[in-house]
Amino acid sequence: MCLYTLQEEALEMTRIAVTSMLPVRQAFLIAYMTGVLWLRRNPMSLVFTAISPFSLLFVLFVISGGGYVVPAVVGSLVMALVGYGLALGQDISFYKTEYKVQDVFVASPVSPLTYMMGLALSELLFGLPALIVLTSLVMLFGASVFSIPLLIATILLIWGSMSAMGFFLSSRMLHMRNATQVISFVNVILAILPPVFYSIDRVPDILRPLAYAMPTTHASLILQHIMGKGTPGEWSLGFGFAVLIAYLIGFVALAKTKAIWREN
Amino acid sequence: MLAIEAASITKIYKGARQAALSDVSLKVEAGRIFTLLGRNGAGKTTFVRVCATQLMPTSGSISVLGYDVAKQAKQIRDLISVVPQEGRPLRALTSWDHVYNWLQIRGEGKQIAKDKTEEILRKLELYEARDRPAMNLSGGMKQKILVAMAMATDAQLLFLDEPTIGLDPMSRRQVWSAINDWKSKGGSILLTTHYMDEAEMLSDYIVIIDRGAVIARGTIQELRRVIPQNIRVDIARDGLDVDALRPYGSVVDTGAGMLRVFTFESAVRELSELALRKNLTFTVSPVTLDDVFVYLAGRGIGDDQNSSD
Repeated sequence: MCLYTLQEEALEMTRIAVTSMLPVRQAFLIAYMTGVLWLRRNPMSLVFTAISPFSLLFVLFVISGGGYVVPAVVGSLVMALVGYGLALGQDISFYKTEYKVQDVFVASPVSPLTYMMGLALSELLFGLPALIVLTSLVMLFGASVFSIPLLIATILLIWGSMSAMGFFLSSRMLHMRNATQVISFVNVILAILPPVFYSIDRVPDILRPLAYAMPTTHASLILQHIMGKGTPGEWSLGFGFAVLIAYLIGFVALAKTKAIWREN
Repeated sequence: MLAIEAASITKIYKGARQAALSDVSLKVEAGRIFTLLGRNGAGKTTFVRVCATQLMPTSGSISVLGYDVAKQAKQIRDLISVVPQEGRPLRALTSWDHVYNWLQIRGEGKQIAKDKTEEILRKLELYEARDRPAMNLSGGMKQKILVAMAMATDAQLLFLDEPTIGLDPMSRRQVWSAINDWKSKGGSILLTTHYMDEAEMLSDYIVIIDRGAVIARGTIQELRRVIPQNIRVDIARDGLDVDALRPYGSVVDTGAGMLRVFTFESAVRELSELALRKNLTFTVSPVTLDDVFVYLAGRGIGDDQNSSD
């Protein structure tokens, strides 16, 4: 009797363990289907995705004769992360409107956040070569080995928050074209206008609070700090991470509660 | 036990002038194949999407497998599987990739997923092409991948929204066979289709929807009784006076050079002799579901349709 009870308890605990791990497994399987399997049969996609983040880096490097390389590397890395995060929105919109994939997932035991996580991982996979090169450049131009955890944390925070934002935005778009337009607009607002490719010193005092309200400004400042470049006196590493964490929590909460999964 | 119980479901899409579903009430018994018939825009897909927790109704209540769709969607989603209308498989993935990974996403272990994938792909004759990416498959095979994904699961209730659209006659029969196998294992199915032969072949119970409202319901035998006559005679129109046929029953122009007369057995002999005298081809058959559908839903063809189906 006692043995039977123990066996029952063990089975129940295994069931709970399996159930609680299922969303993680689901996310990796979604990433495998939409990322790994796709790339295995379309390896050139990796090349096309990898090249785009280097366009501005190349232009700035050539124009400045190499003198502006640090801000250019920092800006390119932040812009790439914003791009990969927001690209999730385009993918989701595409799967939803063209393939009706989202309809299948909605009517299944997959939660919206798991679906988002799976596709975000898939996007990250596409961007991996560019991210590896850009992070290597960050290391090459001044970052120490000890700053690697900070670098990884920054990458994950900005990628996570942008992915959640992409998911939220795309869920509210009825057509693929709308999603592309809105996401391009948001990309400019987050990655081009704020001091991502240039120093925050160049932002007029009156606009600085606005610049500090952007998560990408802090990502850029953290990377500059990691690379040993000067940062403004009113800014600190802790403040930068606090803003990025707040954005991540905020956007994930927005995606969880306000993104449209079941339509109204 | 009821698989679905809908009470006064109304759905009005944002900005729409007309309700996509208007006060729809129906019950679907578990372990049966329940078919929704209706013209394009009638509200079939809207009803399926509401039941499958993909769309919120504007008002009314629905329980699916005993759970409320509005409040207990999570419980329902563990128990259902869908083939969406106009869905497509991912281009670069094979049929095996789709089914095998989908089963694992739904919580199956690798070995069970493998066995089930092989079984359904063989059943739907996709196994030989299991390594070919979907982009290299015919439209029919692509559609069968979606059906395979839904039918390989251990869901209790399947929502099949026009699952055989674009399939050749043999492929349709493979899907029908899989649907019947599913039913024989105790599963329930909510099917929508435009194919009357499919509905006749598979359905235990049929509901005809038009402009968001239920206009008829019953078994095939019950629906056939909607038309008072039980026999139809199709006669070539060449030179035939329509008025000469009216005494035998209701006359309909099929639009294909044929006149259709709904009549009784007693008039068949006379109608046949009439056709033979004029050397016209004719066929005699029982009233079909197609006739019933056209009789009920065909009135008002060309009127404004609800575009939100």
